[in-house]
Amino acid sequence: MRIIACTERSFGKLEPFSLEMITAARAAGATGDEVVAFFAGQDPEPAVANLGAADRLVAASAGNSELIAAESYARLLKDVVAAEEPGLVLVPYSANGLDVAADLAARTGWPLVSYVNEVRRDGDRLTVIAQVYGGKILAECNVPLPAILMVNPGAFAEAERRTVDPSKLQHSDARAVVAEGRVRLVGVDVPNYDSVDLTTAERIVCVGRGIGDEASIDIARGLADILGAEIAGSRPVVDSGWLPKVRQVGKSGQKVKPKLYLALGVSGAPEHLEGMSKSDLIIAVNTDPKAPIFNVAHFGATCDLFDLVANLSERLQAASDR
Amino acid sequence: MKILVVLRMIPDSAGELELTSDGRGIDREWLDFQLNDFDDHALEEAILLKEASGATVVAVAIGEGSNRVLQMAVARGADEAIALDAQADGMIDSRAIAGSIVALARSKAADLVLCGVQSTEDLFGQLVPYAGALLGWPHVSGSSRLGIEGSALRVTQERGGGIAATYEIALPAVIGVQTASKAPRYVSGSKLREASKTTIGKARFEPAGFERSAEIVALRLPGQRGTGEHLGDNPENVAERLAGILAAKGFAGV
Repeated sequence: MRIIACTERSFGKLEPFSLEMITAARAAGATGDEVVAFFAGQDPEPAVANLGAADRLVAASAGNSELIAAESYARLLKDVVAAEEPGLVLVPYSANGLDVAADLAARTGWPLVSYVNEVRRDGDRLTVIAQVYGGKILAECNVPLPAILMVNPGAFAEAERRTVDPSKLQHSDARAVVAEGRVRLVGVDVPNYDSVDLTTAERIVCVGRGIGDEASIDIARGLADILGAEIAGSRPVVDSGWLPKVRQVGKSGQKVKPKLYLALGVSGAPEHLEGMSKSDLIIAVNTDPKAPIFNVAHFGATCDLFDLVANLSERLQAASDR
Repeated sequence: MKILVVLRMIPDSAGELELTSDGRGIDREWLDFQLNDFDDHALEEAILLKEASGATVVAVAIGEGSNRVLQMAVARGADEAIALDAQADGMIDSRAIAGSIVALARSKAADLVLCGVQSTEDLFGQLVPYAGALLGWPHVSGSSRLGIEGSALRVTQERGGGIAATYEIALPAVIGVQTASKAPRYVSGSKLREASKTTIGKARFEPAGFERSAEIVALRLPGQRGTGEHLGDNPENVAERLAGILAAKGFAGV
């Protein structure tokens, strides 16, 4: 069987999850299976320099634009799928992958399972474990082949980085396909981190939906000040306009790795964990004992966060006043 | 311009989920159902577009509590409300309902289909790319801003790392909303009472023409993978322990 592992680049670098797709493909593969990495985007040089762990690389260069629209990526992938006739296609759960995976499923009619964490191959049978309900439930699924899987970033280790042998590289110019696209990129905004850069912060206090309302953020901010920490928020908090976008942690915000991460009222959806689970010390407070944040926390408490913050702030303040 | 906005009722994410006795579904009997958060943002974006550009908004709801959420949608500014019978007593499978949404987009002559970028039940794929591919319309998922410029739609998409891409798309199109341009509005009780008189239309399930996706063999609750220590639920005890832990690790005091 042939397995296609989809890869991406962003701002000059290969997205690390690209290498995870190769590992996932090997996990789904049996002896004799071929793993073909697929790349579409600006200059494939980072893919060529890093994806040698795949048996081959099929790369489509899409011209000068920093980003390729998912529409064009999906169309190029569909053509490669038609030519290569794979038994399995692995798509990363990324901004691009979200539009690509089900698009390919609709156009091929193949089964698709999203949010996949584990794959197991047993002869002709493929079994996967996927997350549903924000990581609160795991679903074990039998997947008839050929099929498409959308794989969670961070679920598999990165394959070893090495250069693709020139004889294993198939390179095409995709500018004509991109030019035909109906989704036209007109601008890319990179946020201004002059005021705050969570990725370099050593201590972060992050508030989630459990904080309740905008005014209550000041209570968490008070604790953050005492700890010398930056205040941050999960997606619902930033979406509500209670904190600015540059202070968002998670898939669509910042990926952080501070020495201290104190999560207050954060449930820990997979998209949030992707952005902070590698922090050195994680302390989580949430009244729901089944909140997935406790799966990555080093210390967890299920008490009321306001009572805790008031009491803890008082103790820390008193200690520093001494 | 006509906008079709899709509203899915899903189990309350803060609630406790229990499995059915056969282990293949979640026990839905005592669950609270609420509007998928991203769909709430899609509704808000639809109403904002209506206010900015004079669109007509058709809201279609699926699942337990559809009528209640449709009344809320009308109170917020939707012009027409439709309850879709998804013929499902389990998960709202976006792959399965895509055919019905496509049929509605066509029968209502929609120029734009909006729905939330994801739901917690879209195990077999997301609605936006399914519907977009079936309609043959361009689709973009993860929008944080929408606007009409002439005859084109301008979409800002979250790319991760705080990076945002802006695209221009000729309509018709399907957009998966992550965040509305403004936070979803509250509606007054009087507007809700007014909206409770709304006639709610009905739509039938239409197959998407796909084979079924994978088969769920078993659902399970994830074990506590972490080796983390539980500090309990008494705020004073927890604060005392945490103060000690923070001091021991050198975090207490700036």
